[in-house]
Amino acid sequence: MTEGTTTMADTTPGLRLAALTKSLGGRRIVDSLALDVHPGEMLALLGPSGCGKTTTLRMIAGFLSPDAGRVEIAGRDVTALGPERRPSAMVFQQYALWPHMTVFRNVAYPLRVRGVDRHEITRRVDEVLALVHLTHHRDSRPAQISGGEQQRVALARALVQQPDLLLLDEPLSNLDAKLRVQVREEIRTLQRSLGITTIIVTHDQDEALSISDRIAVMHDGRIEQVSTPSELYARPATEFVAQFVGSVNSYEGVLRDGAVRPGPGTIAIRPEHIEFRLEARDGALPAVVRSVVPRGHFHEVVLEREDVTLRAYMTGRIPDEGTRGWARVQQALRYRDGHLQEVVEGQA
Amino acid sequence: MLLIIGFIGFPIALSLALTLGFTGGLNQIIALIGQGIRPADHWWGTMAGYQALFSDPRFNGDLQQTIIVTVVSTIVVLVLSLAIALIVRLHRGRIAQLLGAIIVVPMFVPVVISAWAIHTFYGGDGFVRSVAALLGLQAPTLTSTMWAVIIGSVWTSLPFASLLVTSGMQSIPDALIDAARDAGAPMSRIVRTIMLPLASTQLIIATTFTSIGILGSFTIPYFLGSNQPTMLGVEISNFLNAYNRPQQAVAMAFVIFVFAAGIAIAYVRANLRGSATEARA
Amino acid sequence: MNARRALREIGIGALAIALMAFILGPILWLGAHAFATSWTFPRLSADGWTTHWWHEVFADSALAGAIRTSLLITPVVVLISAVICLPAAYAIGRHSFPGRRLFLIGMFAANAFPKIGLFASLAALFYAMNLMGTVIGIVIVQLLGTIVFMTWIPASAFAAVPRSLEEAARDAGASRLTVFRTITLRLAMPSILVAVIMSFLASFDEAQGSYLVGAPNIYTMPTEMYALVENYPIQVAAVFSILLSVPSVILIGLARQHIIGGRLAEGFQIR
Ligand SMILES: Nc1ncnc2c1ncn2[C@@H]1O[C@H](COP(=O)(O)OP(=O)(O)OP(=O)(O)O)[C@@H](O)[C@H]1O
Ligand SMILES: [Mg+2]
Repeated sequence: MTEGTTTMADTTPGLRLAALTKSLGGRRIVDSLALDVHPGEMLALLGPSGCGKTTTLRMIAGFLSPDAGRVEIAGRDVTALGPERRPSAMVFQQYALWPHMTVFRNVAYPLRVRGVDRHEITRRVDEVLALVHLTHHRDSRPAQISGGEQQRVALARALVQQPDLLLLDEPLSNLDAKLRVQVREEIRTLQRSLGITTIIVTHDQDEALSISDRIAVMHDGRIEQVSTPSELYARPATEFVAQFVGSVNSYEGVLRDGAVRPGPGTIAIRPEHIEFRLEARDGALPAVVRSVVPRGHFHEVVLEREDVTLRAYMTGRIPDEGTRGWARVQQALRYRDGHLQEVVEGQA
Repeated sequence: MLLIIGFIGFPIALSLALTLGFTGGLNQIIALIGQGIRPADHWWGTMAGYQALFSDPRFNGDLQQTIIVTVVSTIVVLVLSLAIALIVRLHRGRIAQLLGAIIVVPMFVPVVISAWAIHTFYGGDGFVRSVAALLGLQAPTLTSTMWAVIIGSVWTSLPFASLLVTSGMQSIPDALIDAARDAGAPMSRIVRTIMLPLASTQLIIATTFTSIGILGSFTIPYFLGSNQPTMLGVEISNFLNAYNRPQQAVAMAFVIFVFAAGIAIAYVRANLRGSATEARA
Repeated sequence: MNARRALREIGIGALAIALMAFILGPILWLGAHAFATSWTFPRLSADGWTTHWWHEVFADSALAGAIRTSLLITPVVVLISAVICLPAAYAIGRHSFPGRRLFLIGMFAANAFPKIGLFASLAALFYAMNLMGTVIGIVIVQLLGTIVFMTWIPASAFAAVPRSLEEAARDAGASRLTVFRTITLRLAMPSILVAVIMSFLASFDEAQGSYLVGAPNIYTMPTEMYALVENYPIQVAAVFSILLSVPSVILIGLARQHIIGGRLAEGFQIR
């Protein structure tokens, strides 16, 4: 194995989108979008409602043809192919199970249309059903099984095709909160063990942060940033990303001596990067606790300082409303024209 | 509601009695003026009226033609309305919209006029023969043949059937079709394995209504068909008015009814099955 | 790939155009005759154009009378049909009572019985009740054809009104009657309208029964057509056809096609 071949293999992305553009109803929905997904990687396409996620996914799957740009799957240009001829498989938002077929027949369908031989179909379908723990519902109709089970049938129907690329359009949005966490872990485990290049569309940042290798944040038909979850959170490349992923206090101005002062650009401070104590110290400014809202495993505390009002997340001992003390910014993000300039660390 | 039952159910019961040879009660007058009545000879009546009917070659010819016209027209209507539904559902262009709008037109044209319009269009000096003649061809005169009756039946039945089938197809969510495309199925296969089964209830309703409608039709065969053999709907009217043989006329109606009832049972079954699956969903 | 797609487009276009020609051809051809002086085979256009036949139709007292009769009888039939059938439709759509399904099936079966046979036995009844040749007789005959539409379509519409919407209205303080008026009836209205239109057409077009019961005393427009076809020049029949189609064309405008499609399909499913 020479170094040359390794590099070759590594640089052929599982999916490459190049200058992908689509207008619908006279509006540009996806705007010269570029994205590389590594082989075997799970990438979350995260963005607010209406930003063009589904449109992008439908172009990748082949249901929509782009006005311009290219779609390559595993190094092959598939832009001109219809969905039936692309090596991708999609799990639909409402699952799209065929109500007149049993679970088995739903899952077997992709193999049947490919003319796979009967025994082979039975073998592969049973294998996939076992994989998603649905063997006992083999002969049920979609209407007879629960939402979570339907979701897994849809997944099985995609997996049985042994696709090069798995596309999931908000696969969990129809499940209740608890089931969502459980199913997303199952999906993640399966995807890892099978090593399928996967794109999961979601507008739920928790979901994106917890199950993907990397996250692509989409906004108004463009990709704002592609990074690992921790990098995305620590160094949001644009103001939009900072606000959309996690939560920030943001102010016009600059940070000087621990205080927000008038100046060019924007300052974004994550609530957990604000430290409140009763004693004065370097970089801390006098602050009054205005309100305290319990938010589960932390509290949201609103602190009023002479320069700005800060929203802070605090754990441990929580001060009462009206408490006077000192609040310090531990870390802040500085933006110019919407783009990240630097991460400002407060003094320890 | 009783009124409804009264006005449909009662006459039907009455005429069943007449065909079985009961000539009393309200059937008295009609039995008095009618000819060829075979009176009841058992407590349940007599089958003589029906026997006479089935041994009549004329009736058998009519029955045969009725069945052929019904079957052929229904098949054509079904095929065309499927084609229309698929064009409207999958194509969605301007031409599909226009087609969807135009296809309902015959529904709003009184049947008498439909029949007459088709008569002039396909008749001896009608459009079709005119065009053929201008091209130097000799087209057959279709009127007064079974073919004109079939054309007329298709023409009048198409709107209702295609409305039903189209609405069945339209109610299939896009995602179900997309999922099949994603699974690698070509269009023809998606139509066969996904769309047809999902629209099956509407297809069955369309089939039932079309075939029952054609089975008992009168106006279309009256204007467009041949004199002999003709469809039973016309023959009933002939026997009733021209020949004054009410028993046979009504007996023929019951023969049609038996066929229609067979179709109706299939329909009710389909409906019950449909609501059963929906109830589970 | 592209060539195949183009070919398919052309195929679909050709099929669509052929279908439209099949539907519209006869109507346009007949319509043209209403304005023709005469027509020589095999010309595709009339020998000359005139409105003479229109004057003839309006001047002819029998023809004008038929028009009047039809325009009088049809609304009466639709009204009576609505009064009788809509409560029944509500009962069928909203309540389950013993024999409900049997009733529906029975009604469907009755509808499957050939009309002409029904009229034959109805004639027997009418002789006995002295209703032959009377307006009441014609109204009853035409009523029969409207019942299926007036019951089934509204029944399924009533059944489809979500209970929760009515409950929300009750909760908001509306009385039972107000709820029925402002919610239930309101939501079922499009379907009822479709039912009314279908009934109107069914009644207006009804020829066999009206002929059997009405002739030779009373002629409606469609029954007059039978006589016309045999006794008048084709142009008169054409004029009459156009007149006969006017109410229908107006109704097309009232009921947009998609409403009819959906409601009709829903309406014909027994539940
Ligand atoms: N066929 C269409 N014609 C016109 N506009 C469309 C069409 N399809 C989508 N759009 C518009 O494109 C935008 C993006 O749609 P898309 O479905 O891709 O959003 P999304 O990011 O998936 O949103 P969500 O999270 O709500 O699913 C929306 O504003 C939508 O209204
Ligand atoms: Mg979406």
